[in-house]
Amino acid sequence: MEEKKNKVGVYICYCGGNISDHVDVEEVRNRALKLPDVTVARTNMFMCSDPGQEMIIEDLKSGKIDRVVVASCAPSLHETTFRGAIERAGSNPFIYEHANIREQVSWVHHGDPATDKAAILIASATAKAKHLKPLAPIHVDAKRHATVIGGGIAGIKTALDIAGQGIDVTLIERSPLLGGQLNSLGQLAPYGDHASDILKELIDQVTGHTAITIHTNTKVEAVSGYVGNFSLNLLKKSDPENIPLTLDTGAIVMATGSVSYTPFKGEYGFGQYESVITLPELIRLLKANTSSRSMLEVNGKPIKNMVMIHCVGSRQIPGIHPPKENGTLNEYCSRTCCSAMLNAANQIRETFPETSIYEMYRDIRTYGRGQEELYMQASANKVVFMRYEADEPPEVSKNDDPDYPLQVRIKDGLTFNESLTVPADLVVLATGIEPNDVTNLASQMKLPIGTDRFLLEVHPKLRPVEFPITGIFLAGTCQAPMDSGEACNAAGAAAVKASALLSKGYIELDPFVAEVDTDKCQGHGACVEACIKEGALTLMEVINPDGNPVKQAQVTPAMCLGCGACAAVCPEGAIDINGWALKQYEDMVDAIVSDSVAV
Amino acid sequence: MSSVNLAFAKELKAYSEDTALECFNCGTCSAICPLVHDNFPRRMIRYIQVGAKDKILENANDLWRCLHCGLCTHTCPRQADPGEIILGLKRFVVANWRA
Repeated sequence: MEEKKNKVGVYICYCGGNISDHVDVEEVRNRALKLPDVTVARTNMFMCSDPGQEMIIEDLKSGKIDRVVVASCAPSLHETTFRGAIERAGSNPFIYEHANIREQVSWVHHGDPATDKAAILIASATAKAKHLKPLAPIHVDAKRHATVIGGGIAGIKTALDIAGQGIDVTLIERSPLLGGQLNSLGQLAPYGDHASDILKELIDQVTGHTAITIHTNTKVEAVSGYVGNFSLNLLKKSDPENIPLTLDTGAIVMATGSVSYTPFKGEYGFGQYESVITLPELIRLLKANTSSRSMLEVNGKPIKNMVMIHCVGSRQIPGIHPPKENGTLNEYCSRTCCSAMLNAANQIRETFPETSIYEMYRDIRTYGRGQEELYMQASANKVVFMRYEADEPPEVSKNDDPDYPLQVRIKDGLTFNESLTVPADLVVLATGIEPNDVTNLASQMKLPIGTDRFLLEVHPKLRPVEFPITGIFLAGTCQAPMDSGEACNAAGAAAVKASALLSKGYIELDPFVAEVDTDKCQGHGACVEACIKEGALTLMEVINPDGNPVKQAQVTPAMCLGCGACAAVCPEGAIDINGWALKQYEDMVDAIVSDSVAV
Repeated sequence: MSSVNLAFAKELKAYSEDTALECFNCGTCSAICPLVHDNFPRRMIRYIQVGAKDKILENANDLWRCLHCGLCTHTCPRQADPGEIILGLKRFVVANWRA
């Protein structure tokens, strides 16, 4: 038998029926064997199982194959599995190509067309695989130092947890105070801890930690660099000469937090009547209140009847709620206000039994452990609940009764949609959570921001608290509305990921980046112009073999995103993406349009 | 439209147990009531919660259709004792109907 030039092994998975119920796997195997570059084609019930992987390892070790194609599920999960198997066989893990015949075939096609498409995708993967070359991961030295931007509870917790792993941390806070939003909170739901006690303990730890440097009153002006080697320009407000500090760091955690929504003038009477206040203001009043009377007092006046309105600045609906001047609308639920309102209502009813409370809600959403109990407790405390619909919100207006300066009119769903008027001497608005505006930093670091203006992690389950830019993480309410406990969870996750990344002092990155063919490059510079990542491609002066200086493109592999914009514009075909070369695409297309495996 | 009468709960204390605010408006009492439709007795309890005294007097006739079979009190998940509340409201209406 003639020795084949390329030795591609094709391994086709039944996926326990997921694939084989619709694709004739054995027929696909027979067709794959006829492909010019294929030396081995095998099938298995579960390729990801040990016996499945073992087949690949044996064929590699015995020299039957030098390229591997596995046809199975989407590569997102098992690409790493099969690369690992190849590595265990002593081969380079990048001689691997994947054909997705489950999501792209058996789950969407049936019968002969499914079998044909599976065969075609394998032919195309094989055509690509024959051009694969062994690659080495990009090795980047990493500074064992992390920077946390934002000194609220998420930032403090992140800094402490990273420092606990023996890595130096710099914690940067824009305001003069550490602690963020917790500074303005009182007793926290649902267990009644005092925010000030928790903050004191954490701030004592963070200020006393030798591995943590704290910069308060400091803004991050500019960020540059890449994973392991970021550089930040900081500006201290207290510095009269505005000399920027430079900070070199290996990883960055965004913990830039949130603010409470400010109602517009006239929203439920806010800014119109002084007896309309926000929930944060009520919490401040409760914290400062030392009166031992049986009625809550606000500005010296006892409060007999208090109305609390939920969902102010949250769950806004286009067409019903007016957007802000900048066009934004908060369509999300702020998640924390229901519990915070009930918590405040319980405190008031238990401390000031002569103050009555009416809570007007759209839905009560007491997220999290121990929080539904707050609703039960409020019921037991004889808080009266009334329910309104988004398109018919309560109306706050002036009242002629001198005892009650305000009245709140509601079409109450719990009273059979009858209209009721509640006299009130205090109206509290449950204002929601809005992210701090970090668009300047985010655009410098190329961090994605959602349409809700919160920062976007890569994936809430597969890659939580990570940004797509390697080496940058996020934690806390910059990411989504969450309570302080959840912010600490996210902080722990971000800290572990940052620490794991920096622990070795170097980082290995996937090698799928641009590479310049120095024999072909003529220094046109079209690639540098097309490059979307600043610093990834530069024109450098080099000495050619004849001893003359010429300009040529040079790649900084750690910066390159592997997008291929450069390869598309090079008139010489002198730049290509490792693992995804133009020639590979051409051969894939040829394999798809040829009828080598079709019936 | 009725205005919430904040003093009503106190006024009612003279006639009935103070359990109306235990109710969380689930409607189990109305579903099981064999005699009266249209959200009875839940509607009456809700009127107490929001202090709608005039509404109770307007709909007072319904109260006398109740035979105190006890099913609502038996099934109430919140021990709000609807049967006892209705009895209390009867006393209240008798004392107030001419007022």
